[in-house]
Amino acid sequence: MKSQVRQYLAGVRDAILLKATAGRSHTVFPDDRYLVSYPKSGNTWVRFLVANLVHSEFPTTFQNVDLRIPEVYNYSDRELRAFPRPRVLKTHEPFDFRYPKVIYIVRDPRDVALSKYHWIRKWRGIPDGYPVEDFVGRWIVAEFDQYLKAGSWADNVLSWLAMRASSVDFLLVRYEDLLGATRDQLRRMARFLGIEPSEEILTRAIDLSSADRMRTLEKKESREWRDTRPTRQDIPFVRKAAAGDWKTACPPGAVRQIEAAWWPLMKLLSYELASSPGSRTPEPLVHKGVCESLADVVRVRLEASREPAKPDAEPVAATKPIGAL
Amino acid sequence: MRHWLTEYLADVKNSVLLNRPAGRAVTVYPDDVFLVSYPRVGSNWTRFLICNLLQPEEGLSLPAAEARIPGIYINSDRALRRLPRPRILKSHEPYDARYPRVIYIVRDPRDVAVSRYYFTLKWRGIPDGFPFEDFVKQRFLVAGNAVLNTGPWGDHVIGWLTARAEREEFLLVKYEDLKKDTAQELRRIATLLRVDPDSQRIARAIELSSFDRMRSLDQTEPLKWLKRGRSDVPFIREGRMGGWRTVLPEEAVAAIEAAWWPAMQLLGYELATHFSNGLPEPQVNAQVCEALAKSLKRGHGYAPYRAAALADQFPGAY
Repeated sequence: MKSQVRQYLAGVRDAILLKATAGRSHTVFPDDRYLVSYPKSGNTWVRFLVANLVHSEFPTTFQNVDLRIPEVYNYSDRELRAFPRPRVLKTHEPFDFRYPKVIYIVRDPRDVALSKYHWIRKWRGIPDGYPVEDFVGRWIVAEFDQYLKAGSWADNVLSWLAMRASSVDFLLVRYEDLLGATRDQLRRMARFLGIEPSEEILTRAIDLSSADRMRTLEKKESREWRDTRPTRQDIPFVRKAAAGDWKTACPPGAVRQIEAAWWPLMKLLSYELASSPGSRTPEPLVHKGVCESLADVVRVRLEASREPAKPDAEPVAATKPIGAL
Repeated sequence: MRHWLTEYLADVKNSVLLNRPAGRAVTVYPDDVFLVSYPRVGSNWTRFLICNLLQPEEGLSLPAAEARIPGIYINSDRALRRLPRPRILKSHEPYDARYPRVIYIVRDPRDVAVSRYYFTLKWRGIPDGFPFEDFVKQRFLVAGNAVLNTGPWGDHVIGWLTARAEREEFLLVKYEDLKKDTAQELRRIATLLRVDPDSQRIARAIELSSFDRMRSLDQTEPLKWLKRGRSDVPFIREGRMGGWRTVLPEEAVAAIEAAWWPAMQLLGYELATHFSNGLPEPQVNAQVCEALAKSLKRGHGYAPYRAAALADQFPGAY
């Protein structure tokens, strides 16, 4: 009862002060750029990388990253509108037709599942030792999605691919490629955002956003950063920052569940399947035909993205660089 | 568009009275059914049909139907949570992964454009005599930040079909089919709602939801939220198919078809324009539409199937 009253009063206060969280309903400007991903797909790392590119003289921390690349769930629309333009915004929304330019980060769902497992544990949503298989069964049907409403992993990823895969204003980045060739992928993202960074600044941004440095920052800031403040402090936010962790840490039963549900989409994104086709019955939870129809365009885009970027390989957008605070 | 101060005061009032419309933030229960469509495709008629199917009522008014199958943009989440379950809710949202059971209504976008034109006129968004062509190009094909962020017609339809076309518990209903053979389409809806599709019951529901009846109801007792609109422009207008042929100028038709031809072909809406240089680059993915067409041909999206098998493997998925 007491918490309901408090919630009610907070709602009235937010309405009066125009402080209600913007979320999906924030205003979009034609020069906005977006970092979109399913939760736990490396979005924070990408935010650090990009923010450190733009503000290389003042290193990015957990507390100022939200001022540089604001997350739409952390501000009111009024506050977001006041950010210097062009803005770079972070969201986890499934397809939104209004976003003019989108960097979409996708990650192996088996690693996403593990990352989410520990994140939910950190938020006290499940106890220590909760069976991963049970968690994954619930995660597949988006049970831990009450707050963000991002849908399931496949819903989120496929909604963007089906609508934007062939658009020039859509940049698909695999988290695994970003780990393997950070410099090339970051240069690609920078160009897409209209920034032409020097090699020096690239190196500095990558160093300033390394997993080690982020872990050190987390130790310092964990109790102040709004995303980790109310959570268990004995479980880290920056965890392994690796690809393929699932191979050792994800029980085979959980892997089987994920692959049975989403194998056509995993195949489309060239995530190798561990289970035998026979075990992937009955029908998957994503549209097989749609995934197949996207195969060509996604393959071409991913191949092109892995080629080392030549100095003048892609035309640079003739826009002003991103807004700086 | 209302003045920002009016909007602000309305929002403060709504938050004090716990009356803020639910919209996308609506709480979803696993036994909910959603009546989803792009605006102006016949969802009010469908709602009326469903009301009379579930509980035939001679004197059912439009506001009474709205109370039984409430829209998520008029009612607060708190009010909606208090409804008896299972609920049927009406929504215009682009794909929302949370909706467990969905009846999705689709209509020829050229007719949607005409209907939307008159609705915008009623809502004082455009003046009398505003050219159709400008409306289509400036207001219908491009959708910016709006009160209802439904997006363009093509994105809405393809968004829902991509995610759900092959799913159990998703029913695609074409407005045109509903017009041509109301009984058969209502029988399909009844099946999804787990209601006995008894033919007498269906016939009665159709009789009670005739266009003439709804039109006169709109004049005598219109929906409350429409009172802010012009009373000289009807809400229930013509309820017919192919009206665009006489109203829409050729250029407007061509603009709609150029943007969405793959989605229109997928749904069997024949193109009227001859593109002399071949079909233009569309605003929806043509390959995806082709893949979806195969599902529709196989009957997916048209009838519930393989429910048991999936429920076994993914408890809670449906």
